[in-house]
Amino acid sequence: MHGLFKWSSKWWPGVIPLLVLWAIAAWTSTAPLESELAARSTAALRDTVLDKGRIAVAGRDVTFAADAFSEDGRRSAVAAVEAVPGVRLVNDETRLVPEAKPFVWSAERDVVRVTLGGSAPLPASKARLLEAARTSLGGVEVADQMNLSRGAPPRFDNAALLLLDQIAKLKDGKVTISDTAVSLSGMARDLGGREAIAAALKNLPEGFRIASNEIKAPPYIFQAYKDPVAVTVTLTGYVPDNNVHAAIAAAAGRKFFSEKVVDNLKASIGAPSGFVSAVVPALGILSRLSTGTLVVSDREVKLSGDALYDTAAARIRTSIEKDFPQGWQVKGDIAVKPPAAPVDATVCQQLFSELLTKGKIRFESGRAAIDLDSAGLLDRLIETALRCPTASIEIAGHTDADGEDAFNQALSEKRAQAVADYLVKAGLPADRFTAVGYGSTQPVATNDTDEGKARNRRIEFMVR
Amino acid sequence: MVFLVTFHWGGLLASLLLGLAMGWIAVVHRGPGVSKPMSRWLAVLAAALVGAALARVVPGRAGYWLDLGLVMFALYLFGCAVGSWLRDWAVSRHAPAA
Repeated sequence: MHGLFKWSSKWWPGVIPLLVLWAIAAWTSTAPLESELAARSTAALRDTVLDKGRIAVAGRDVTFAADAFSEDGRRSAVAAVEAVPGVRLVNDETRLVPEAKPFVWSAERDVVRVTLGGSAPLPASKARLLEAARTSLGGVEVADQMNLSRGAPPRFDNAALLLLDQIAKLKDGKVTISDTAVSLSGMARDLGGREAIAAALKNLPEGFRIASNEIKAPPYIFQAYKDPVAVTVTLTGYVPDNNVHAAIAAAAGRKFFSEKVVDNLKASIGAPSGFVSAVVPALGILSRLSTGTLVVSDREVKLSGDALYDTAAARIRTSIEKDFPQGWQVKGDIAVKPPAAPVDATVCQQLFSELLTKGKIRFESGRAAIDLDSAGLLDRLIETALRCPTASIEIAGHTDADGEDAFNQALSEKRAQAVADYLVKAGLPADRFTAVGYGSTQPVATNDTDEGKARNRRIEFMVR
Repeated sequence: MVFLVTFHWGGLLASLLLGLAMGWIAVVHRGPGVSKPMSRWLAVLAAALVGAALARVVPGRAGYWLDLGLVMFALYLFGCAVGSWLRDWAVSRHAPAA
């Protein structure tokens, strides 16, 4: 042992080459060691959920900075780096992701893009939301402005995914989740979109509630255009359902007795209340115009065109004021068509016959009250009567053979008189008209079929 | 530790061999040795460096270099001791015969 001490005093010269060796080892090993430790630390963190993770190695000391989503997650991440073989010290610069209070997430759609903003709870859910947005909005640019924050309510992902589906149904607008309160605003893409969104919102995960739903529906449009040249009435736009569609088509068929009805209507939900009771009188007014346009947009009705004569224009204006349901706005722009050239009595007779062949003056069943659907035809008859001011006209009422003769006789007289009264009210002199009832004595077709009976029930204008 | 040895085995082996060689030479070396007070100071310095390394007070790369140096030095000393002992054993085996 003593020898060892004696010899050790002679060991010093080797320290000089040892220092050289040390310098070489330090020089060559530092950089590979650091990159090796960085790689091993990164690998150790592969399965932990962190944001903004950053690893810097100096010698064997690892500086580890990251945002963790829970205290446990933070501690286990630091422990994982500490356990990497070769690591001497870990400078822990980790922190928790800031907590958002309230936790707000939003998705906003404008013309060209959808912007996702606010907070997302985890990188995975952020990626899932982006992916869902890209899938459900196929083709629309998706901009990501989401931050990561703690404090999301439970089932946040499900709620946000459901709302992203609704964004696809909007033309523009915004949906927001603030803690558990959901707000929506904007304009639905299609008619019925607003209702579809409201229905989908019933499936929001438990705990979430609708704070406000201000989704607007696009205007509910119904249009009709009467073209005097093509002799057509074109119906376009929407009706609430097939029953209403059939009812409106039937009403148009009765009111526009000489025009062809071109029906381009589509069924869609979202109609304003009182749709039918506004559209039917509006079509009635349109039928009294020589040329005209009807536009129904939500609860606004716009009617424009030319009435056939002055009194008709005045009556139409009155009807615009009182024939529509409450809450509807009606705007009329009714002018009067220039009077047609006078003609002699023979031509007048011809015109009357033509008109009454195309259409029939309708009455309420078994009574002498003129059906409103016949207003258009009566306007035409009056316009014709105005063209031959000197001619005297016999208005002849006829019935079919059903029922008692005395009743039919009386009914035919009353109906002829009702038509004469209508003409007089329209401003024609009473002494030009004689109302005559013929009962069922002058049939023009057989009374054995319904069709024949319908032809026999008629009013005729005879110029005397 | 296993990681460090596998990573640095070249440098460590070189230190050990250097120590063996130096120890082998030291037994028959006639040059000047380190004086007693000086060797005491050196021992204190070595202890201080070991203390600093164990307490991990030297940060970053300097800390790593200190650890590396101390491990190499320790192996060097071990090599010296083994080398000297082997040489002494070899010399004393030949001496009675001579």
